Amino acid sequence: MTGQASPFTEALKHAVLIIGALIVILPFYVMVSYSFKAPHEIETNTGGFFGAQEQMVDEYCVKLGNAREECLETPAIFNYSQAFKKAPLLRYLLNGVIVTASIFLIQALVAVPCAYALAKLKFWGRDLVFGLVLVCLLIPVHAIALPLYIMLAKVGLTNTYASLVVPWTISVFGIFLMRQFFKTVPDDLIDAARMDGMNEFSIVWKVMLPTAIPALLAFAIFSVVAHWNDYFWPRVVITGNRDLYTPPLGLREFRGGSDGSDWGAMMATATIIVTPLIVAFLMAQKRFIEGITLTGMK
Amino acid sequence: MAVDVATSSAVPAAASPARRRAPAPASLAGYAFVAPAILLMLVILVAPVLIAAALSFTDYSLGNPGFDWVGTDNYEKMFSRSTYTKMLTASATYVLVVVPGSIGLGLGAALLINSLKRFGDFYKTIYFLPVMAALLAMAIVWEFSLHPTIGLVNKTLEAGCGTFLEQISDWYAAGCARNFPLWFGDPDYAIWTVCFIGIWQGFGFNMVLYLAGLTGVPRELYHAAAIDGADSAWDRFRLVTWPMLGPTTVFVLTITTIRSFQVFDTVEAITGGGPSKSTYVMMFAIYEKAIKHNLIGIGAAITVVFLAFVLILTFLQRWLVERRVHYS
Repeated sequence: MTGQASPFTEALKHAVLIIGALIVILPFYVMVSYSFKAPHEIETNTGGFFGAQEQMVDEYCVKLGNAREECLETPAIFNYSQAFKKAPLLRYLLNGVIVTASIFLIQALVAVPCAYALAKLKFWGRDLVFGLVLVCLLIPVHAIALPLYIMLAKVGLTNTYASLVVPWTISVFGIFLMRQFFKTVPDDLIDAARMDGMNEFSIVWKVMLPTAIPALLAFAIFSVVAHWNDYFWPRVVITGNRDLYTPPLGLREFRGGSDGSDWGAMMATATIIVTPLIVAFLMAQKRFIEGITLTGMK
Repeated sequence: MAVDVATSSAVPAAASPARRRAPAPASLAGYAFVAPAILLMLVILVAPVLIAAALSFTDYSLGNPGFDWVGTDNYEKMFSRSTYTKMLTASATYVLVVVPGSIGLGLGAALLINSLKRFGDFYKTIYFLPVMAALLAMAIVWEFSLHPTIGLVNKTLEAGCGTFLEQISDWYAAGCARNFPLWFGDPDYAIWTVCFIGIWQGFGFNMVLYLAGLTGVPRELYHAAAIDGADSAWDRFRLVTWPMLGPTTVFVLTITTIRSFQVFDTVEAITGGGPSKSTYVMMFAIYEKAIKHNLIGIGAAITVVFLAFVLILTFLQRWLVERRVHYS
C-alpha cells in the first residue's frame, strides 16, 4: 500500500497476525501433541508438547492376563501402534486412496473429451449441451444426497465402492474449467494434427491434454482434497460394512467407541489422516492454493 | 459457483478453419465425446432434483411398496413443527454468523498480510492450513480442546482466575466462580461454538481469494486518491480498495453462503443436532430424518427448500455482478 508504515504499526500488524496464527494452529498443536502423550498426561495437561514418554502400563493388556512388566509401553509408540491395531486404519487409508483416485480418473475421462468437443468441435446442439453444463453448475451434489441415496438403494448399490464413486463421476465444474482452457488452444494445432491423420480421439489425449496439464493439475488437487476429506457422502452410503470405510469414517467410528482411555490413539489416527494433504500442501503451496481457489466450489 | 465467469464467456467460438476439412467425422466425434457427460448429468444431477421435488409431496419410505400423495403436508410441517422451525433457525444462525465472520476475517487478514513488508507468506500458509485438513478430524480435535474439564481451552481459562481478568469481565468472574462454559453441551453456547469452528475453517479460503483480488487493484488509484485528499488508511480502503474488491466479494459471498448451508461434519460428530436442537442444521436434518429414520417425504421437502435457497442466492449473485460491481 501507499504511505510508509512506521515500525510500530508494522509490529502491531504482526502482533495481530500472530495471535490469529496461534488460534488457527491450536487444534493442530493439540492433535499432534496428544498423539504423543500418555492418558494421564492428557487428562492433567502435563508433559509439554511431547509428553515425558515415561513407560506406562497398558491396562487392557493387563486385563488379558499378562504380567504388568510385559505390558509396559512408550506412549508415543503405543498410541500410533494402537491406531493401526484397534481399527484397520491401513484398510481405511487404502480405501481413501482407491476412492479419491477413481473419482478423479473418471471425472477426467468424462470431462476432458466433453470439454474438447464443447470448445473445438462443431455439431448441432452444442450450445444446448453447454447450457446444460451451466444449469448443472447450480446443483451442489451434497444437497441432492437424499434422492441419490434412494436411487443407489433402489439398484442395490449402497455399501459398495461404486456408491462412494458414482455420484462424483460427473464434474460439471471440471468440464467448464477444461472447456475454458481448451478455447485458448490455437485451432492450427488441431488442424495440423488432423493433417497428420490423427483421429479426434488421439487429438484429445495426445494433443489437447498435454497443453492442459496446469488446468488438469489444479482440478486434480481440488478433486482429491474435496474427496479425501469428505465425510458426509461416505456417512450416507456406507452404513454397515467397515471394509469400505474411508479415513474420516474410520476416525468417526473410533470416536464413537471411545471410552476415554484411547484419546492418544484417536489423535494419532487424526494426525495420520490429516498429514498427507498438509504435507503435500506445504511442499507445493502455490499449486494447491491455485487449485483450491480456481475451482472454488465444494 | 463460478457461474458468473461462465456467462461472460459463453460467447460462441469464432468460426474454426477446420470447417473445410470433412466436418462429418468431427461432428460425430463431438456427439461421442459429449454423450457420456450428458448421460451422467441427466442421471446424477438433473434426475435427483426432479425425484426430490416429486417425493416431497409423498409419504414415501424405502422398503415400502408404494406411497400416497400427501400434497403440501411435508412443507406445512416444515414451517409449523418446532423441530423444523428450530432447524431453520439453526441453519439461518449458522449462515448469518459464519458468512460475515469468515468474510470479515478473510478480508482483514488479506489486507494486513498485503500491507506487510515481509513474512506475509508465512501467515498465509498458516491461515490456509484448516482449509486443507479434514473437517471431521479437526472437529473432533476441537471437541477435545473445548472439553469442559480436561480441554486445553478451559484449563487455560482457569489458569487466568484470580488475576485482573476477573475484574474486567463479569463473564470471566462468573466462569471462575462456578465453571467455564460447556461449549457444546450448553444450548446457549453450542451453535456459537459450531459457528466458531466454521469460521476457523473457512476464513483462510476467503483470505486467499481476497489476496488474489488485491493484486488486481492498480497502485495508481491509491496515488490518485491521495491527490484527492484521501489520506487516512480508512479513506483509502473505503474509496479504492473496497469498491475494487466488489467482484471478489460477491463471489466469496456466494461460495461461503452455499458452503455454510451445507455444514454437516461438525454437527454430526460433536453435537448430534443438540442440545435441544440448537444446532439442528439442514444437512443434518436431511441425514437424520430421511436417511437414518427413513422419513423420505420430509427429507425431500428440506432438500427442495435447500435447493431453492441455493438457486435464489446464485441468481442474486449474478444480478449483483451484472448491475453493481462493474467498476472497471
